[in-house]
Amino acid sequence: MPFALRDHTADVALVIDAPSLLALFEEACQALLSLLVEEPSSVREAEGCAFEVPGDDPADLLVDLLSELLATVETRRWLARRCCVERVAGGLRVRAFGEALDPSRHRLTHEVKAITYHRLKVRCVRGRWLAEVIVDV
Amino acid sequence: MAATNLRDRLERIDAVRWRIPRAARPGMRVDGIVFGTEAMMDDLATGEALEQVANVACLPGIRGASLAMPDIHWGYGFCIGGVAATDPSQGGVISPGGVGYDINCGVRLLRSDLGEADVRPLLHDLAAALQANVPAGVGTPGRHHFAQRELRRLLEGGVPYLRALGFASDDDVACCEAYGRIDGAEADALSTRALERGADQCGTLGSGNHFVEVQVVDRVEDPLAAERFGVVEGQVCVLIHTGSRGLGYQVCDDALRALRGVPERYGIELPDRQLACAPVHSDEGRAYLGGMRAAANFAFCNRQLLTGLVRETFEGVFGRPWSALGLELVYDVAHNIAKVERHHVGGEAVEVCVHRKGATRAFPAGHPDVPARYRDVGQPVIVPGDMGRASWLLAGSEGAMRDAFGSSCHGAGRALSRKAALRAAKGRDVRAELAARGIEARAASRRGLDEEQPDAYKDVDDVVDVVHQADLSRKVARLKPLVVIKG
Repeated sequence: MPFALRDHTADVALVIDAPSLLALFEEACQALLSLLVEEPSSVREAEGCAFEVPGDDPADLLVDLLSELLATVETRRWLARRCCVERVAGGLRVRAFGEALDPSRHRLTHEVKAITYHRLKVRCVRGRWLAEVIVDV
Repeated sequence: MAATNLRDRLERIDAVRWRIPRAARPGMRVDGIVFGTEAMMDDLATGEALEQVANVACLPGIRGASLAMPDIHWGYGFCIGGVAATDPSQGGVISPGGVGYDINCGVRLLRSDLGEADVRPLLHDLAAALQANVPAGVGTPGRHHFAQRELRRLLEGGVPYLRALGFASDDDVACCEAYGRIDGAEADALSTRALERGADQCGTLGSGNHFVEVQVVDRVEDPLAAERFGVVEGQVCVLIHTGSRGLGYQVCDDALRALRGVPERYGIELPDRQLACAPVHSDEGRAYLGGMRAAANFAFCNRQLLTGLVRETFEGVFGRPWSALGLELVYDVAHNIAKVERHHVGGEAVEVCVHRKGATRAFPAGHPDVPARYRDVGQPVIVPGDMGRASWLLAGSEGAMRDAFGSSCHGAGRALSRKAALRAAKGRDVRAELAARGIEARAASRRGLDEEQPDAYKDVDDVVDVVHQADLSRKVARLKPLVVIKG
């Protein structure tokens, strides 16, 4: 399974397993959406937006990417169904595909306060990239 | 697991105090002290919370002990229920992990002149009206939108700024911790994103464990303090629990990003990245404090604007102005905050930065920071429980100053994870169960109610028994829920 939501006392951990680091970032975006919206397939890829995430540490990049998506939900009321992530000089370039939040079709389930650093892990094990990131809900 | 080892290392001080000796782990600068019963300590054996108490004991400049209240459970960096005082004159640090993402999450209690008999026949109408009027749930904007210039004034001016706009009374200001405005707030320290997230969220409840509850005073334990607080048996009260919403989360997030690499620069070794910190007197420390104080003022204002909506709702349902209904503020108190305060450590008066993460300030009678009207009985300490059992009104006592940097507990503490709570609710109707107990519960989603069901929390009575016995605060009144509005 590329990602799972693991129970964690008062909060939830996103557990991701992917064949490459870039795929791991893309799966993490899906994992976050599945936590935010009851039915992720209700979000259409109606429009795209692009942003960059500066940095080079994989764990920091993961936190910053997910934090960016989270802020987009609150400030622009926009949901990303899918992200394409590529490496560029100085960080990541992200193209997100999704649509504006429509309460009649998108049932939000959790208010995610933040992506945390607590027990944050991003590592490569026998050719697979694995991550665990706890989100504050 | 290391946590199990620490349970084994706990030394019993008395019936409700336990020590993690400094020698239990390398790097600890002071002991850890946990308040609780033996059964509570046994519950901690399998988690990470004791480990977190020990981690906090490693912070530079920590004085006295790394403390945990009886509602202790796992948190980010600090455990929930954690209290730590750091001494800036000894290189003491400020850590956003010691405050949490929801800066100045807190509670406020309103009293009324209504009795249960006045409200019971209208319970359904009151619940429906509150649900309609109080913006709650994920992504629901508030009635007020603040342009950036106004928002900056609110962030620095707190509740007194809202008073100038006509949204708060003199008594509202007088009955807030720090009078609803923490000095030293710097709106300019906030990112554009933090301001954007806060623009339409002041006056919103949010989701998760935040709520508005109509309650009835079940019993009074300290008649003198209850009289000072304006509380009598059978009286209807309203409890509001929320914080600084997306603005506060963003301030914490921005601070943790700004602190990347900073501990290393100051030669600080940390056992957990979430404990990222900087000396209080450093540029980085001052920047966080300025932003954190601004977010704290936002949270005071959030609860104030929600108070306005609650008063308006009561006016609609009972057909009288809120002042005629006696809907006055008893007190508003933070339970996620860091404040510079004067305390005595080893007989010496010191100025320390007190981190309270899921802990409530509990200043005793005579303390100059307690509002004059309550100064002879101590500061009101408000402890919400779960939606089915009870909440408590306490008063700060001397033991809190002596043993806990003027702090007490903040709630019941979770017993079940959210998923476990959902599993436990399967096949049940939590709302109907509460209705059978005379409680009207409303939530933005059924899932929200299931996640926050009473069984998801420990019994707040047990937690309050400990702080009462430890003299961190003393029982004044127990309140039972009548109406629950969950985000």
